[in-house]
Amino acid sequence: MIRYRSLVQSVRNFTDASPDASRLASPVSRLAVGVAGVLALGASTVNAEELKVWSGYPELAPFYERVAEGLSDKYPDLDIVVEAIPLREHEKRVALGLSSGSAGAVVVELPKSTASRYLENDLLTPAPEDVVAAVEDSGNYGEFFVDAASFGDTLYGVPLFRGQGALFYNTAMFEEAGLDGPPETMAEFTEYADKLTQRDADGNPTVSGWSLRLSGGGQGIAEKFWINMFQYGSNLMEEAGDGQWRATIDNDAGRAAFAQYLDNVHVKKNVTVEMPADAEAFERGQTAMFIRESWVIGDIAAKAPDLEYATAPLPVGSIALPANLFLSAEGDVARAAWDYALASNEAEHLVWMLDNVGWLPNRGDVDYSSVLDVTPALGAFVDYPEGYEFFTLPAIGPIEEILTRVAATLTDAFANADLAGNDSGIDETLAGLEADVNKILDREGLLAE
Amino acid sequence: MTVARQENSARHENEAMHGSSIVDATGAAPRMPMRGRFRTRLSNLAIDGLLAIFSLAMIMPLVLLVANALKTPAEMLAWPPTVVPDAPTLANFCAVLGDTPLLRWIANSLLFAVLSTIAIVATSSIAGYILGKFRYRTLSVVFVIILATAIVPFEVYMIPLYFQVQKLGLLNSTAGLLVGYLVMSFGIFLIRQNVIHSIPDELLEAARIDGAGELWIFFRIVLPLLRGALGALAVLAFFQAWTAFAWPLIVATSKDAYTIEVGLALFQTGYTVDLGRLSAASALVLIPSVALFVVLRKNFVEGIAATGLKE
Amino acid sequence: MIKRRRFLFAIAALLPVLAIYAWVRVMPIAEILRLSLHRWDIISKNKPFIGLDNFRELLGDDLFLTALTNTAIIAFGVLAITIPLSLAIAGLIHHRTRSRFAGVWETAIFIPHVVSLVPAAMAWKWIFDAKLGPLNALLANVGIAPRAWLFDPVWSIVCIIVLCSWQALGYAVLIYLVGFKNLPKSLYEAAELDGASGLQRFRFLSVPMLKPITLYVSVVTLVSGFNVYAQAFVLASDSQGAPGRQVRVLVLDMLENAFRNYRVGYAASEAVVLLCIVLILTLIQFSLLRERRRS
Repeated sequence: MIRYRSLVQSVRNFTDASPDASRLASPVSRLAVGVAGVLALGASTVNAEELKVWSGYPELAPFYERVAEGLSDKYPDLDIVVEAIPLREHEKRVALGLSSGSAGAVVVELPKSTASRYLENDLLTPAPEDVVAAVEDSGNYGEFFVDAASFGDTLYGVPLFRGQGALFYNTAMFEEAGLDGPPETMAEFTEYADKLTQRDADGNPTVSGWSLRLSGGGQGIAEKFWINMFQYGSNLMEEAGDGQWRATIDNDAGRAAFAQYLDNVHVKKNVTVEMPADAEAFERGQTAMFIRESWVIGDIAAKAPDLEYATAPLPVGSIALPANLFLSAEGDVARAAWDYALASNEAEHLVWMLDNVGWLPNRGDVDYSSVLDVTPALGAFVDYPEGYEFFTLPAIGPIEEILTRVAATLTDAFANADLAGNDSGIDETLAGLEADVNKILDREGLLAE
Repeated sequence: MTVARQENSARHENEAMHGSSIVDATGAAPRMPMRGRFRTRLSNLAIDGLLAIFSLAMIMPLVLLVANALKTPAEMLAWPPTVVPDAPTLANFCAVLGDTPLLRWIANSLLFAVLSTIAIVATSSIAGYILGKFRYRTLSVVFVIILATAIVPFEVYMIPLYFQVQKLGLLNSTAGLLVGYLVMSFGIFLIRQNVIHSIPDELLEAARIDGAGELWIFFRIVLPLLRGALGALAVLAFFQAWTAFAWPLIVATSKDAYTIEVGLALFQTGYTVDLGRLSAASALVLIPSVALFVVLRKNFVEGIAATGLKE
Repeated sequence: MIKRRRFLFAIAALLPVLAIYAWVRVMPIAEILRLSLHRWDIISKNKPFIGLDNFRELLGDDLFLTALTNTAIIAFGVLAITIPLSLAIAGLIHHRTRSRFAGVWETAIFIPHVVSLVPAAMAWKWIFDAKLGPLNALLANVGIAPRAWLFDPVWSIVCIIVLCSWQALGYAVLIYLVGFKNLPKSLYEAAELDGASGLQRFRFLSVPMLKPITLYVSVVTLVSGFNVYAQAFVLASDSQGAPGRQVRVLVLDMLENAFRNYRVGYAASEAVVLLCIVLILTLIQFSLLRERRRS
């Protein structure tokens, strides 16, 4: 008989042995603590002469470094370290760094929606008087931006820049299609897309008329959908009381926006899920128009400088996501940190940012015309029409989770050809979305009655 | 005798009908008629052919990757895609080495893998030896606990471990990465099996009677005897650390501290993806892995064979 | 006296290792179990005890259930491909073990297992690419229309299964080869004399005798299948604008809940679910072996 010794045999050998009372807990854990202690001693301690600058946009690194250089005269001994990493990673390191207190002295760039949880938990430093004076002086920043950097009545940060959406369109393709200007209503968006889409012999689109955000992780899909809904007159969610919110997706605006997506993807076939999308597609001439933020301008200048394009404001309004510089620091270095934040808002730096990176500075009383003359594309962002409306992401704790979930549902929904023209299916999807969002709000105690 | 002859002819008939090769496990071919030998060779050829095609298919993706790394950006977009680049260029490699901290990432990975291997080999050998040769009740409980926790996948408990590392301020450092890869339950098990099978108690008793101290026994008798298994373990531990993904992803978050896996994966999270560069970076990382394996293969196979997987 | 000294030596030598083990294994495992019963958002100081609420929420969470389904499909899919294929390949290699090429086959088949996960996944991502990948080119030659494999909800999962099997095959083949080498030759010779063909010897001798190895490989492959993450991360990338459809797997959902939604307690409950699944599967497979051995 063949005996096959194996893992199991050993297990059986030992499970047969009668177990003794194991007193492993106490001495073992004490030793573990000892080991941990030794390791902790070896761990790096934060340098008191070091100030870190944390950003979620790698393309802004040169900007932050410029500001740091400008400060080197005043603070020769201060080592300012700029760490700009992709947004998701940035949010994570902020969460972990601030909550554990292991971040040291740090200037953190955050939108209010992300910052709210830290403000609620007292993890960010309130602004000193001179900073408050500089920011609240109404010549410098509109109320919208001051508000975005405050919590209640206290100012905690310095506004810096904002993300704002506008339409990018390929003027050469527009000319070829016989269109002499950007679309001005949402209906025209679809009409123009029909004319701009280029197809192959089988009728499949090779160049999409209008590049919609249909895939890709994170919350981008939800944000872009919200922008479209906004043009039809509704937000994704509304504040219905003091800090209480409610989802407002299952309404005419939601239906119109959703139907438009489905129409373009499945009926008109102006764009499909697997086609190249976003800035890269626009730069390579694979799409005729798309809605995005101002950083694309800098991207185009770097990667496709010969592209013939223009920008235009959206029909009704746009998303505006103000980012501010908050900080967590104590003692002398705190003073240096606030000086850094103020320095970043000096006119020459802001103009440089607009010119070289493309994010929009929030400060109002600076003359940006030199940049606008060179890059007229920025006009759509800076010179918006009278009555242009803005919305921003709610500054509540679970906002990322809400948007991520909405995005996940929308990804599946957009790819579902059965929903096109299917009114009850559309209603069902939107009702489901609304219920999901309200469920999360309820869980966090934020749902309006 | 007659029976044997009958059986023999029955066998030949069998062959003729089924065309099977009667080469046995050792590959020795008993005497057989020409027809049988020819069939054997034919079937061997067929099997070789099949294996060759299969092996080629297995490494084809990697070959394609290296080919891509050598293509110009224009050729990358060509359709249908070519296997051998028309105009091979090293531009992608230069770009990737110049613009990204690729070498830094490889260094990070290497340091992490080497240190982890040392730690795992050390802890496994001590623990395996003691649990294998010192049969006390308490220790068998310990072994059961180790075995039980061996089943738990790393991903299950990596979040609390992460907060531990964060509390110690070891994020973004090699020490932090190491915390997750200091011990390997399977390693302890492997060594223990080996110790039980290949180190006779008499040998140890003899040494003790001769007056040798326990430490001396461990270093001078046990370890040399475990060489094969330790070699295999070292290879296993090294590759485990080298290819770790989820843990370094959450622990090493600053660009300088990335390991090579994380760095490559996040390479593509910029707004645009440059396939040529990506392939070049991937190819650069592949080559040491493959080379290392080809060199260490014997060790690995022998080690696995020497474990308790056999009688 | 000597016995006492030996015992003390054993404990003293083992203690450091045990201490490390307790710190990096036992404590975190205990901690994840504990966290799953609490609510914690990383930032606030208090972690209220909420009992089984996290688990109740999991049952109704669409994203979690999708992740669970996807992960299970991937794990079992990889198992279904890997076991038969690796057994067959190992059998073939073993059959030709005297050939000078045997080492070549072994190496070629094992290499996918040792190369880093991410470069390998990148290679496959290109292969599956709708516009540029050779898979579509190959299929076009046979007359099948090109597809966007990585975008299709069903095919993207198949792609991940293919990638994981490709990586798992080498290890399984190697373990089987070792098993084959240790099979008793006498039995085979006897079977040969009885007139059994190669194929019959394989089916009725090799396969049953290799059962313990099959079970070991199954456990390992299944468990690592449930932990799939890197492959899904790369093939179905998470990035903005990069083409790809994200396939939700358990580990991804868990990490997203912990680090993006700041719900560590909830993520911990997902980890506990993963743990239970792994434990149950392992126990089933071990009990299968035990039954066999008794018969």
